[in-house]
Amino acid sequence: MAACTRARHAVAMTEVHTLPPDVTSIVAARAAAVTKLYGSGDTAVRALDQVSVELVRGEFTAIMGPSGSGKSTLMHCLAGLDTVTSGNVYIGDVDLSGLSDKKMTALRRDRIGFVFQSFNLVPTLTALENITLPIAIAGRAPQQPWLDIVIDTLGLRDRLGHRPSELSGGQQQRVAVGRALASRPEIIFGDEPTGNLDSRSSGEVMGILRRSVDDLGQTVVIVTHDARAASYSDRVLFLADGRIVDELRGPTADAVLDRMKNLEG
Amino acid sequence: MTRNPMRTVSVRNLQAHKVRLLLTVVSVLLGTAFVAGSFIFTDTLSHSFTKIFDNADKGIDARVQAQKSYQPGVALSVVDRIKTVPGVRVVQPVADQPIVLIDKFGKKVQTGGAPSQAGIWTSPRDSVRPADGFVSGHAPVAPGDVVINNAAAEKAHLTTGDHTKVILPNAGALNVTISGVYRISTETGGYIGVLFSEPRALQLLTDGTHLSAVDIAGDGTVSEKALAARIAAVVPSDLKVQTGDQVRKDDQSSIRTALSFVTIFLLAFGVIALIVGTFIIYNTFSMIVAQRLRELALLRAIGADRKQVRRSVVLEAGIIGAIGSVLGLAGGVGLAYGLHALLDALKLGLPSGGLILSVRTVVVAILLGTGVTLLSAYAPARRAAKIPPVAAMREEFSSPGVATLRRRTALGLVVTALGALATLAGALSSSGGGGATLIGLGLLGVAAGVMLLSPLLAQWVITPLGKLIGRPFGTVGELARTNAVRNPRRTAATSFALTLGLLLVSGVAVIGASMKSSIGALFDNNVTADYILTTSVDVGVPIGAGAAAARSPGVATLTQLHDLPVQLDGTRTQHGTAVDGPLKPVFRVRVVRGTGQPAIGAMIVSVKTSERPGWGMGTTHALSTHNGVTVSEKVAGVYENNNLLGPWLVTGDVYRTLVPRNEWSDIVGLVKASPGMSLPTLRHNLEKATDPYYIVNVQNRDEFKGSLASQVNGLLGLLYGLLGLAIVIAILGIVNTLALSVVERRREIGMLRAVGMQRKQVRRTIYVESLLIAVFGAVLGLILGLSYGSLFTRTLHGQGLDKLSVPFGQAAAFLVVAGVVGVLAALWPGVRAARTPPLEAISSS
Repeated sequence: MAACTRARHAVAMTEVHTLPPDVTSIVAARAAAVTKLYGSGDTAVRALDQVSVELVRGEFTAIMGPSGSGKSTLMHCLAGLDTVTSGNVYIGDVDLSGLSDKKMTALRRDRIGFVFQSFNLVPTLTALENITLPIAIAGRAPQQPWLDIVIDTLGLRDRLGHRPSELSGGQQQRVAVGRALASRPEIIFGDEPTGNLDSRSSGEVMGILRRSVDDLGQTVVIVTHDARAASYSDRVLFLADGRIVDELRGPTADAVLDRMKNLEG
Repeated sequence: MTRNPMRTVSVRNLQAHKVRLLLTVVSVLLGTAFVAGSFIFTDTLSHSFTKIFDNADKGIDARVQAQKSYQPGVALSVVDRIKTVPGVRVVQPVADQPIVLIDKFGKKVQTGGAPSQAGIWTSPRDSVRPADGFVSGHAPVAPGDVVINNAAAEKAHLTTGDHTKVILPNAGALNVTISGVYRISTETGGYIGVLFSEPRALQLLTDGTHLSAVDIAGDGTVSEKALAARIAAVVPSDLKVQTGDQVRKDDQSSIRTALSFVTIFLLAFGVIALIVGTFIIYNTFSMIVAQRLRELALLRAIGADRKQVRRSVVLEAGIIGAIGSVLGLAGGVGLAYGLHALLDALKLGLPSGGLILSVRTVVVAILLGTGVTLLSAYAPARRAAKIPPVAAMREEFSSPGVATLRRRTALGLVVTALGALATLAGALSSSGGGGATLIGLGLLGVAAGVMLLSPLLAQWVITPLGKLIGRPFGTVGELARTNAVRNPRRTAATSFALTLGLLLVSGVAVIGASMKSSIGALFDNNVTADYILTTSVDVGVPIGAGAAAARSPGVATLTQLHDLPVQLDGTRTQHGTAVDGPLKPVFRVRVVRGTGQPAIGAMIVSVKTSERPGWGMGTTHALSTHNGVTVSEKVAGVYENNNLLGPWLVTGDVYRTLVPRNEWSDIVGLVKASPGMSLPTLRHNLEKATDPYYIVNVQNRDEFKGSLASQVNGLLGLLYGLLGLAIVIAILGIVNTLALSVVERRREIGMLRAVGMQRKQVRRTIYVESLLIAVFGAVLGLILGLSYGSLFTRTLHGQGLDKLSVPFGQAAAFLVVAGVVGVLAALWPGVRAARTPPLEAISSS
């Protein structure tokens, strides 16, 4: 836990978007001058415009912005789900731009966790099987002590044998968080993780993500619309028209709403 | 969009999903193509044959022939009497015998299925039909002269003036000179006509006193009917007089009868193909409805009523059905053409001629194809109409209720039980035919029941099977297994197409294998000859060949068998066997009473025959044939029933007494070697002795059995080829189902890709899933096919199928093939699935 606290201090000290090379080890993911165009020629849409950002280990970042601001695109590019038009994306020290599909897939599997808006659990597998799915795909055995910690964090021990259809939305999303945590990834990306949940379930899921940062030293990045969800983070990045236009540390829901109002107004 | 929005939605839907459309259309197409193809093929054959017969029957105003086939034909004295009837212009004698023509290179000319006949040459002046004319040469004059048709001349590489040989079974090989080549105005496939001068033909082809028929042309002064009546007044009452119209009508109906077997055979496969196609169409529409759930619910939410939703799905089915049927019709033309070309290549001697596409074919194919599609889509359409409008707002949907599966399972159990009962009754029944019918009905019931039960069976079978097969694949295997049983109805419908295909194939395999081993056993248990003389053409062993072989060095005994159709005791007609030579050295006759060898005046009969009233030992019976001769035979022995020997045996003298000389031939010659004789040397001697007869084959025991088995194999090959179509459709069904499930699971596959599943692993998941579905279907099919094949064989015991032989090796091969086919079917869907971008996990629809 000491290392993770140190890392958070390091982040607190750096307000700029780039870091000197000697501190990259504390950066979990990094975008350098990333541009993403959709389409070509006259009809091209610039979803990201020369975005540079670092996501530091042990920190919980929320990306916000109005619809069409490029926030989801930024996350997809950082997570290796989408390719960039120009610029570079790094997970740890690995430059994603040159990776083959096979290496990229393995990287996603071993070093990245995902939480989706619509849970995306395999309906034919039990909660536990869903949680251990990425580990099983990699052909590895789960580390039982870690798995126990994850399951206890989720509070789902009595639900492990259930199928997704037998779980509530909040429980399904907790399973999805568990799936992201189980392989101890370097960074977890969440795409509107509370988008399909009521406010109580949202609180539960965000609480678990917060705890995974505080207690387990995880790095978490989410894209969200929800100011209350964003208030669980350490740092909020605001995007508009494909650029990072603002940033807020130690956010409260009200502060986030204020900034958003400015952006949209 | 303004006039009929629902129709627009249906049409746009089809346009938007071209692959899905294509696969469904193909499954309709295949079934329809087979139905249309069988119609076109038989229509074409029927048309060609009709043309041939029309040509042959041209100019006939009346025909006189025997009432019954065993009666003598038309006596020459009667012919003279007919000639004096007023109104008769010409009386043309008819006498046909099968003949073999030897080509320029000394080889017999094969005709395949077409007839090769010797006949009488009549000059144009003496012919009823207009003369066809000569390509070259002139009419046969000298006894050694023959004329042949132009197609035969071409095939045999013979021209006018060439010397060659012809083989008549009763006369052996004859040296002839081609005096001319005549033209036949219609193309008649492989038909060979060898015509002799009238005196020579009467000598060779008739008993010297009777013609098989005479054709009469009038001089135009009286009607056909009046002419026939006048002729009938002067001929004996055992002769039948027909008008030309009756002759033509008879020929037409005999063409239809002959071809009806072909039509029924081909149609059966069309129906099988359509049934298998039904499952695929049903499946496709179920999946389309499931995938469009939200869209359909939305339509309901904005005010479309149930009827409109149902209609829009039915309309889609109608469009697919119509497109599929029209393409199927075109496919049918191709199929008929291909079949014709194939049979031509096999030299089966079919007449050629343009394909006939009748209105009936078009109507039946399109109605059937569209009808089956609509019918298959009706249940999914009803389900679509039941979607509540709120489904548009719901995120996830539950799969079909367990209750409906329970009802289906209950119904399945009842139907299976009824089928099993019928099967049991059939198996216990003593009558072969009735038993087989009951078993057939039982099979229908059990197959329908298994179809209803198969969603449940899929869960039971695939789970352990998947654990076994999927184990080496780890998580991929487990995902594949759970995917395969995720929607048991769909898995059931997909695999049932393969079940049906394999049921038929493996059932046929059992019957075929049993047939082969029964024939082999029948031969081994009864025949002890060292060599067997047969012919490979439609003609018996020439009478002289046997005698020549018997004189070869090293032959201990030679036994010739003749087929003898007679009228028994003046009542019923039956084929028996006449024997020249001793039976004992070459045949194991199991004597029950009396003697085992017929002698002059002493026939021997089978147990079955002896059990008929009045057929006991010592009873006397009258055997008569068509030259009016009657022979009395006393039953001197009884032997165990034997399919090779037939119901009764008499001596060759009886044969020669009863059958006119011009019809004499042997079915087979059985040779026993002298003790110590080297068999290869004996074969050489036999071949040398029979060489002048061209058409005689000398076969040892294994070769003879092999040639019998190869006849069965040929039939099996044809059946497998046709049944292969059902399997092709089943494969398409698997491709279809998998492709649609891949679309359905796009988000899930995207998620798996996002959390780190490699493309290779995604592909493998689909392959293993397909493998499991295919193996499941194959296992059900094999179990049913092998069981029912065995049951049928057992029921037909005593009708030549005495030995049950279950080809387990072949069954295992079928299973492996089904597995391979399953993986092949998954190749394309697998690749498609692997291409799913991980972002699909996130996209909202």
